[in-house]
Amino acid sequence: MPEKQTDLVQGTLDMLILKTLALEPMHGYGISVRMEQVSKGVFRLNAGSLFLAIQRLLRDGLIEGEWKPTENNRRAKYYTVTRKGRKRLSNETREWVRQVAAIARILEAS
Amino acid sequence: MSLLRDVASGLRSLFRKDEADRELDEELGAYLEMAVEDKIRQGMSRQEAVRAVRLERGSVEVTKEVVRSGGWESLVQTCWQDLRFGLRTLRKSPGFTAVVVLTLALGIGANTAIFSIVNAVLLRPLPYANPGQLVIVPEAKLEAGISRAGMSYRAFTELRDTNRVFSAIAGLGGHALVLTGYGEPSEVSTVAVTSDFFSVLAAEPLLGRVFIRGDGERGAASAAVISENLWRNRFGADPGIVGRSITLDMRAYTVIGVMPAGFHTPFLNQTDQVWIPLVQDPLFSVWMTRPPQEHWMNAVIARMRPGVSTTQVQAELDTIGARLAKEFPTEKGWAIRIEPLQQTVTGDVKLPLLLLLGAVGLVLLIACANIANLLLSRSTSRSKEIAIRIALGAGKRRIVRQLLTECAILGLLGGLIGTVVAYWGVATLVPLLPSSLPRFHAIRVDGQVLLFALALSLATSLLFGLAPVLSAAGSDPHQELGDGARVGESAGPRRARAFLAVGEIALAMVLLTGAGLLMRSFAQLTSVNPGFQPNHVVKAMVSLPQFQYSTPKQWAAFSEELMTRLQAQPGMQDSAIAGPLPIVDCCISLAFQIVGNPLPQAGMDDTANYVPASPRYFSVMGIPLVRGRLFNESDSSSSPAVALISEALAKRYFPNEDPLGRRLMFGFPANGVVSREIVGIVGDVHDVSLGKEPGPMLYVPYAQAPLYGAEVVVRSTMGTSAVVGAIRTVTHAIDKNLPVTDILSLPDALNESVAQPRFRTLLLGLFGAIALMLAAVGIFGVISYSVSRRTHELGIRVALGAQPRSVLAMILRETLALTLIGNAVGVPCTIATARLITHLLFNVTPYDLVTLALASLVLVAVGALASYIPARRAMKVDPMVALRHE
Repeated sequence: MPEKQTDLVQGTLDMLILKTLALEPMHGYGISVRMEQVSKGVFRLNAGSLFLAIQRLLRDGLIEGEWKPTENNRRAKYYTVTRKGRKRLSNETREWVRQVAAIARILEAS
Repeated sequence: MSLLRDVASGLRSLFRKDEADRELDEELGAYLEMAVEDKIRQGMSRQEAVRAVRLERGSVEVTKEVVRSGGWESLVQTCWQDLRFGLRTLRKSPGFTAVVVLTLALGIGANTAIFSIVNAVLLRPLPYANPGQLVIVPEAKLEAGISRAGMSYRAFTELRDTNRVFSAIAGLGGHALVLTGYGEPSEVSTVAVTSDFFSVLAAEPLLGRVFIRGDGERGAASAAVISENLWRNRFGADPGIVGRSITLDMRAYTVIGVMPAGFHTPFLNQTDQVWIPLVQDPLFSVWMTRPPQEHWMNAVIARMRPGVSTTQVQAELDTIGARLAKEFPTEKGWAIRIEPLQQTVTGDVKLPLLLLLGAVGLVLLIACANIANLLLSRSTSRSKEIAIRIALGAGKRRIVRQLLTECAILGLLGGLIGTVVAYWGVATLVPLLPSSLPRFHAIRVDGQVLLFALALSLATSLLFGLAPVLSAAGSDPHQELGDGARVGESAGPRRARAFLAVGEIALAMVLLTGAGLLMRSFAQLTSVNPGFQPNHVVKAMVSLPQFQYSTPKQWAAFSEELMTRLQAQPGMQDSAIAGPLPIVDCCISLAFQIVGNPLPQAGMDDTANYVPASPRYFSVMGIPLVRGRLFNESDSSSSPAVALISEALAKRYFPNEDPLGRRLMFGFPANGVVSREIVGIVGDVHDVSLGKEPGPMLYVPYAQAPLYGAEVVVRSTMGTSAVVGAIRTVTHAIDKNLPVTDILSLPDALNESVAQPRFRTLLLGLFGAIALMLAAVGIFGVISYSVSRRTHELGIRVALGAQPRSVLAMILRETLALTLIGNAVGVPCTIATARLITHLLFNVTPYDLVTLALASLVLVAVGALASYIPARRAMKVDPMVALRHE
């Protein structure tokens, strides 16, 4: 079940989306494809989870959306990370790295 | 910022739903289309690609639902949806809705009505500024068993002038004075107060002013403050009333102020009132000079200074008390205490009122159990609908919320109609309330009460809704929608239903037993022989203005004249005049000494209740002579002083000797203490109340100890109004300014004396009956549902040769099991709660086996009756129909 694979730690999905968008502005489908590619298929996003997260990020003012034509001449909403979003991302990345390192140390200790 | 954005975006999708929807649609459409194109590029056909994408990414509709439910605005939306859906569902089953709403309305209405009484009498602070600072200051002599007595004027002034803990302190004493000059002479409730009375209560007048220190001094002009009610009723709301003169007991008082209708003297329910300075009072002013041992002032109230603790106050009072005891030996043994005013005002009625509130709460609980039961049955029949909704993707939480919304609608509708019931209930109950209930004029359905009703509605919705809702939401769609023919129902809801019915029976038992105990106690109380024969006896009070009739000689002359004239009237031969009547007026308690016995220790006097009575009193009242003789016409002020005693006094003080011929020393202060010979013993009467043992009584000839006003009692077969008419005519023939008041027939007076127990017995009986009815409905519901679910099984049984009798026996066994378990649970609950009402019972123990047995018998019988209809249906099950049923 693809959904199982996105059963992430609360808030992690938001961080991954921010990270993906920090590289370049992208539309919803682009985000999910990019995340699948980068994670080598581990994270296959369900549309519901994706757009729920996007709505959350929008309302928190971490990203902004804008309708633009796609390369196939279709209209899609492209999302950009705001300044506040970048700050949040760098904070959360630092925190994440710290935690992962700590967890790894604990796991390796035994 | 982000909160603002959240709200803005939420509002946008709430109010411009279509636009937000279209945008989401477009975005999702683009998303899925891109995914499909990718799949096609990988070599799938379009159809395959669309299916694959839907499997991988989820359907558009579900996604939209998920995204929409992410914001807060969706909560508003779904609530609105749930509300409309709930209303629609309820409208579709009007019978069910009506039963539930009416049951709830009854329960909530009854609770709200009782709460409005409790709120007005017990909870609402007294209607004075900072009521927490108000205390009453009684003197007490605990070793003599006196916990609350008045205070002498001397002790009062000492306390007033030397204490540092009260910001104001005042004494008051109440009686009735005769108001003349405005229409028919009438008695008005008069409160004689010291000058700080109104400042203790921090009360402001409506017109004019209240008393100041100068008004309380000797030689001051006589002033009066009147109540708004009196002002409106007797003086036509005359705006120039301040400064005018009114006549009380033939003496002129200048009105200096009018108190607003909302102001009441603590402890008094009367609304027509006059307040006069103590020094101007015809009775009490004389006593201001009396020595301290005469504890007379009805009450002393005080306002504690802000920030002073009760322990500080008590310490100060102890010091002052000790100083007084040193100065006046008679004060020895007396302590000055304080008691919160609120506690004193509501003390006696707290327990009965809380009992009623508890009982009516139990009724609501039973009603809730009933509704929960109904809902459980309904949710079983709605299980398919719910299963379909779960299968379509509704989350458990969403279902719970929707079902709870339905419950809340029911609860609020019930509360709404319940409020109407409460208004009606309060209007019906208030006239039934015993007039001795403190603060009963404050009872009404107000904001607080409405808030209570609202909270109650919501709480009950949760209470009756929780079990059925959780059981419904927990259902498994696979099982509900599978093809397996379901015979019977799953054990969960069925057990829950049986559990609820058992609970109902247990609660009903508690209420029934409580009601039964009160009824038995009330029956015992009213079957008490009062010691006199009340039937055909009418009494009226004739008061003599004390400034006009100031000497005992005048009082005696008046009463003799009155009796002579009255007895000359046709049908009025059996009439008498006497002091306080038993139960009606209660008592004048006097200390007495037996001549020849050693003097009692100081402060340990023997006391008895004192009644001056004219010769025919005993035959009018039907009080039997036990030994010796009654009074006769020759017992006059010039003949030897004599007395009659009651059997109780004879038994207690002359256990081994003949009291006849012995002498007693006592006297009502007005005519002083004299030695009287005991000439007879009469039967006991219940002097205080039917519930209290008869106390020792002293009777003296009225002619030897007249009063300035007394009760006229007449035994006559003529109607009350004819008798009173005769008394009025005769009295006014002597003096047209004399009021004839407090007219009562003695049977009515006896009835009135048990008004409080009657009221609570009536209400608790009513609650017990409702509880019984609800429990019966509950049992009926469980059994009839069980029969309808078991139609199939019963059909098989009948097909296999079961006789209708055995089917009936089976159903009855089921009912019996329910009621017996209910009883088994109920008995310990009942025993635990019955203890609480011990103080309200008269001659019945709270563990009365007869009542308990009767209550459980009634429950079993009602249970059997309730299961009769479903049992008959079960007996008539046709196997052919039943087997085709599923």
